[in-house]
Amino acid sequence: MTQPVTQLTTQPMHPLLEIRGLRKQFGTLDVLKGVDLALNQREVVSVIGSSGSGKTTLLRCVNLLEEFQGGEIVLDGESIGYRVSDGRRHRLRDRELSRQRSMTGMVFQSFNLFPHLSAAGNVMLGLRKVRRMARDEARAIAEKWLARVGLAARADHYPSQLSGGQQQRVAIARALAMDPKLVLLDEVTSALDPELVQEVLNTVKSIADDGATLLIVTHEMRFARDVSNRVVFMEQGQIVEDGPPSEIFGNPRSQRLAEFLRNTRT
Amino acid sequence: MELFLDQVWTARWPLWDGFLLTIEIAAAAIACGTLLGCLVGIQLVFAPTLIRLPFRIYVDVMRGTPLLVLILAAFYIPSVVGLNLSATQAGIVALALFAGAHIGELLRGALQSIPPGQSEAARSIGLTFPQMLAYVLLPQALRSALPPWINTGVELIKGSSLLSMIGVGELLLKTQEVIGRTFMTIEFYVFAGVLYLVTNILLDQLGKTVERRVGGHL
Amino acid sequence: MGYSLHFGAIWASFDRLLFGLALGLGLAAAAVLVGTIIGLLAAFASVGPSRIGRLVAGTYVTLIRNLPLLVLVLLVYFALPQAGIRLDKYESFIGALALYSGAYLTEVFRGGLLSVPKGVVEAGRSIGLTRFQTGLWVTAPIMLRNALPSLGNTFIGMFKDSSIAAAIAIPELTFEARKINVDTFRVVETWLVASALYVATCFAIASLLRGLERRFPKF
Repeated sequence: MTQPVTQLTTQPMHPLLEIRGLRKQFGTLDVLKGVDLALNQREVVSVIGSSGSGKTTLLRCVNLLEEFQGGEIVLDGESIGYRVSDGRRHRLRDRELSRQRSMTGMVFQSFNLFPHLSAAGNVMLGLRKVRRMARDEARAIAEKWLARVGLAARADHYPSQLSGGQQQRVAIARALAMDPKLVLLDEVTSALDPELVQEVLNTVKSIADDGATLLIVTHEMRFARDVSNRVVFMEQGQIVEDGPPSEIFGNPRSQRLAEFLRNTRT
Repeated sequence: MELFLDQVWTARWPLWDGFLLTIEIAAAAIACGTLLGCLVGIQLVFAPTLIRLPFRIYVDVMRGTPLLVLILAAFYIPSVVGLNLSATQAGIVALALFAGAHIGELLRGALQSIPPGQSEAARSIGLTFPQMLAYVLLPQALRSALPPWINTGVELIKGSSLLSMIGVGELLLKTQEVIGRTFMTIEFYVFAGVLYLVTNILLDQLGKTVERRVGGHL
Repeated sequence: MGYSLHFGAIWASFDRLLFGLALGLGLAAAAVLVGTIIGLLAAFASVGPSRIGRLVAGTYVTLIRNLPLLVLVLLVYFALPQAGIRLDKYESFIGALALYSGAYLTEVFRGGLLSVPKGVVEAGRSIGLTRFQTGLWVTAPIMLRNALPSLGNTFIGMFKDSSIAAAIAIPELTFEARKINVDTFRVVETWLVASALYVATCFAIASLLRGLERRFPKF
């Protein structure tokens, strides 16, 4: 496939995603304590860490599903989620937020397919209502992406008729069809039966190979090593280490990462 | 407004009598209905199929028939079969039969939701069936059946208003009589409405309080 | 006992009873239709962000559910003309029953709303649908399907409540039955038949409902 999977940024010298000093609290609990992360176009970055480290929250902030109290997220040069006027920070309005959300794609741990729509319908909904495409055009694109994830034959099946792995692949197609600048994957195989995990990992690898820009939260260490350009280790709301897979897995610099890797080895 | 309050004061005794009768009717109906309902509920859960059947039919017929139809039937039928019932008595019979079916269904659900381990434990310490029922099953079932039971009480107070259609002098009929005299239609219907509202809301609150006290450690 | 059953007089007027039955179904259907709109609005308001919305919805439900339907019907029928609004019998009964069913339907739809998995709503937001679009294309279809059984039961309840239309002389089943009872003195037969008609209809609707539920199970 020669065409890039995710959109080309208009400013190739800029990182596609810049997270600066991100802070988030849930009530009185500090979940993200100043996270800095940059992602370049066509980069695949995996985020690892124990549960409670804030990895999922990080993703949900980028996707604007969560609010954040401090710091900034800049997507392709645009600061998302908030605007500053008179020195005060305001959350953007629903319409603006929705537009910004359509620039990122998200694949959830529990798939979250729309149960009342077929596979094609799931992929088409965003195309028709957000991109305002005509039905035929949307259908053609949906079929293309379903074929891309290997589910062309199931376009008219409903989620209840699909296996977990198939549902997750439809979810991937749904995210990609929106032509996002970056795709966020939140533990996309954690809710799957073991024998279904590989088909999803293969799909993710294949879109990574096509040049997609991905930010992946995962427990699958071998997969993270295989598919990523960089791996980031988070603990207690902060990034502790950030480097290429060979460094992170082969030569952990911090005590905490070493311990984490020890504990996750089966 | 002054005129209205004036009229309320003038009519205070008939209105009060009507309100009182409403409460009495609902109380009588819930008392009889609960006794009946307990019998029905127990039969529906524990009786052999053949005995269960008439009770099942009773419940299904009562639940499929509008209350008004039951009331009218209870009003017209007794005299032709030789029974002499006043309109009020007929009304209470209808409401009690109605309540009995609902409470029976209620109790059935409550009994069936008790984990089977309870009756197994009761049997294994040697309790007879009536003892098990009285000391283990019913206490638990009645606790979970309490909120819907209060709800049935509220339904009976609302249902008592239908007795106005067979000439029983409860709150609604008395209100209509006052309207007939004064022509203050909106005012007095609203007045009656408010009385029903307040009564039912208070009953609901009472139910919640009792539920909290009694249902604590379940 | 001295009373023997003769159904002849009942069969002679059976067509009036059937017409009354159909009328009752029609009244219930019209009321539930309007009530659904009211119920949907109130349900969304009751889980929505506006505190006033939640208060209004909650008050509406509490008010109506604790009021006898007959009082509501009489209020709408007799009292509204005094306030200058003229409605005919049918309109005012359907209006009252719609208000009444709306309160019950609010609870039905609220339960339906709460049964929509949060993750699916988030998926809708994350592909860029606005709150309104998500509500319309994702939440509402799922909620309506999950609420189908309760919706059906409410319709059955409203059909039984249509008997109260007899109080304002609408010729539905109960009214006709009472007339036949008074005209023919065939007391037992009349009420047996009337009751049987109601029970049979409710049973038929319930069976239809169960069939629908099997074809369209909950999400």
